[in-house]
Amino acid sequence: MAPDIEVDSLDVWYGQARALKEVTLHLGPGKVLALIGPSGCGKSTFLRVLNRMIDRAPQVRVKGAVRVGAFEVLAGDVDVTALRRTVGMVFQQPNPFPMTIFDNVAYGPRIAGLRQMAKLRQTVEDSLKKAALWDEVRGKLRRSAMSLSGGQQQRLCIARALAVNPQVLLLDEPTASLDPVSTAKIEELIVQFKTHYTMVIVTHNLQQAARVSDAVAFFEHGRLVEMGPTHDIFTAPRERRTEEFLTGRV
Amino acid sequence: MRADRIAALVMKGALALFIAVWVMVAVIVGAGAWRFVSANGLVGPLVSSRWSPLAAHYGILAFVVGSMAVTGLALVLAAPGVLALSVTGARILRGAPQRAFIQILTLFVAVPSVVYGWWGLSVAVPLIRRLTGTAGFGPLSAGIVLAVMIVPTFSIMALQTLRQVPSSLVEGSLGLGASEDQTLWHVILPASRAGLSQGFLVAVGRALGETIAVQMVIGGQSRVLSLLKPGATLTTQLLTDLALMPARTPGHDALDFMALWLMILMAVLVWLQSRVRGMSRG
Amino acid sequence: MADRQWRGARPLKPPGQGRAAHKILAGMAVLAVLLLLSVIIPLVAQAVPALNAAFLFGRAPGSIAPEAVNTVTMVAISAAVSFPLALLAGLYLVEFARPSRWTRAFDQFTGTVLSVPSIVVGLVVVDVAVVRWHWPVSTLTGILALTLMNWPLTVALVVEALQSVPGLYRDGSWALGASRWQTVTRLILPLALPQMIEQGGMAVARLMGETAVLIYTAGVNVGPGWALGGPGESLAVHLWLLRTEGVTDLASSQAAATGVVLLGLVFLVLWGSRRLAEWLQDTA
Repeated sequence: MAPDIEVDSLDVWYGQARALKEVTLHLGPGKVLALIGPSGCGKSTFLRVLNRMIDRAPQVRVKGAVRVGAFEVLAGDVDVTALRRTVGMVFQQPNPFPMTIFDNVAYGPRIAGLRQMAKLRQTVEDSLKKAALWDEVRGKLRRSAMSLSGGQQQRLCIARALAVNPQVLLLDEPTASLDPVSTAKIEELIVQFKTHYTMVIVTHNLQQAARVSDAVAFFEHGRLVEMGPTHDIFTAPRERRTEEFLTGRV
Repeated sequence: MRADRIAALVMKGALALFIAVWVMVAVIVGAGAWRFVSANGLVGPLVSSRWSPLAAHYGILAFVVGSMAVTGLALVLAAPGVLALSVTGARILRGAPQRAFIQILTLFVAVPSVVYGWWGLSVAVPLIRRLTGTAGFGPLSAGIVLAVMIVPTFSIMALQTLRQVPSSLVEGSLGLGASEDQTLWHVILPASRAGLSQGFLVAVGRALGETIAVQMVIGGQSRVLSLLKPGATLTTQLLTDLALMPARTPGHDALDFMALWLMILMAVLVWLQSRVRGMSRG
Repeated sequence: MADRQWRGARPLKPPGQGRAAHKILAGMAVLAVLLLLSVIIPLVAQAVPALNAAFLFGRAPGSIAPEAVNTVTMVAISAAVSFPLALLAGLYLVEFARPSRWTRAFDQFTGTVLSVPSIVVGLVVVDVAVVRWHWPVSTLTGILALTLMNWPLTVALVVEALQSVPGLYRDGSWALGASRWQTVTRLILPLALPQMIEQGGMAVARLMGETAVLIYTAGVNVGPGWALGGPGESLAVHLWLLRTEGVTDLASSQAAATGVVLLGLVFLVLWGSRRLAEWLQDTA
């Protein structure tokens, strides 16, 4: 079951610099939320809060509450590894590990303790099929992941994320470094995944946001300016800043 | 362009001089080694451990084994320290403490080997003496001294390699629910394989070629491997016998033979390093 | 902007779980650093009784001054000889020669001669200079040995520093019609210089500590005054000799004091070259 996401007046500081200001939003289960806004507006920070990847930045401080399904994300006693297994992440640059294709996809299950080869094989095959990469790599699973093209590498990273059975997927500009054909394949996957996974996608490509998302959130200077159903935001934004951004008058 | 041609000519000259001088070094060592092989054969001296120049017996097995044992021991003893220092410096410390840590290690790289030898005589040898009831001189002490000596060099190289692992790989692993420890063992260290191997080979070269620090604590006797009794290595025996065997005597040719082996070993290590570099690109 | 609200937010600490190995390794690193400090601290402690003006600067026998002078002069002269030679060779390899099978073979060649053990270099210098040319065991022979030791390392560090300058800069300069020589002297060398100086400092520091190569070339004695053909015992050799032959209590504190002076010189060179490199980098 895909979980919902609830954020209540979230503040984030890096040292003394405030990156997010009182962000409050709710995303229903199985929905796709697109985060848009100018560079440095806090959308990546917001994404990285959801699986606590934000921990890696030095001197981070937070305020407010974030709930993903049953996880109180910012609670002191949250099981971060369990959270990250539930909330998968795909990055801007495809980042396959320097290992074979098989070992890349099997990495997560192995980390979680799965040792039986038959089950591993099945998981790898299922994940690659879900990421629409199986037909291109079957019989080549022992090859280095580095031998794949950029678009294939990104789908491999999606398969790798799916292999740990996540319920939420975070996508940080997943097509920013890809050509149009590869981009189309990834977008197709996102549309297919709807209702199975709750997804949050950061994108600079407004058409992409319009094509794949159910809801859009517009961030500026760390504030959530406006959030609403995709169709409404693109046709009738309530805020003037949103309209200016969408029409290119930044 | 005339200036270019003149400059190139002068530079070519400097390069040719460099190559010529070092080829001469190899030829001089090689000539002595050749006279030694013609007189004593190639295999005989390598499998005999009887070194008594006065009786014209030149078995160098004890020194070869000594060099390998001391080097191997040093690497085994150094490995945990290298792992700890490089992981701490690359993946635990950040910012100013990290820079200070690296500078301190760099200072220890520059500490002369004779100072490490002094430490061996003042600290390691008495300690071994107390623990084992032997004189304290021998390959064990030499291995300990060499280990302490190569730790900074090896650690710095390992640290730089670990630091260069892209953070996208680290986040990819953490994002799948791996812990910091699992990420270290399963992603960071394997991704650093090429650089770590390179550092390993440099450390082997430094340990194998080290003379003075080993000579001060190994005791200087030709016997085949006993860790706690005085022994010798190829380099320490060269140092000891250089004064005793005048040039153009058969004994001196034996020194050239040992020196040539050391040069060949170094060439092999350098060749392996270039192979490892190729591996990291592929 | 007086945004002080961050004080009200709570710091987000990375999860403690799954960091056991990191903690163990950090503990081991502390032990390793203590072990390394155990090389320096007892040395300084033992040296204290012997560290006085008469020992450091005196003219009486037992003073370390002649060894210090020998060390500094031999190292300075061999660095002054080997650095320009290496610079020219390195410039040719990186800026003028076309990459080929030969330049790759040369890398292997430099790497090998650079790791030839110092006692092997000592052996060859004794054979050639002392035995064939009848040079005395002296500072002169010591300089020859140190120059030979330093040459390959300097070639390697010059090559590395030049290669660290991005190729795009060269393209940019050539596109403006500059010759190779102009490109090298006006653009590449200034950019590569800070790294060369810092690495050069490491090379000089290594020369100061060379022992095995000097024992039979520069010798284990000092003369009444410095001379190019005079006996050339260095600090490192003096330390080695005191510690392997000396038996009195005085000898061990003098050996430690010699080590402290040597370490002081080494660290001074490292610090000076780093500051110089930083200064050049800032003014560039």
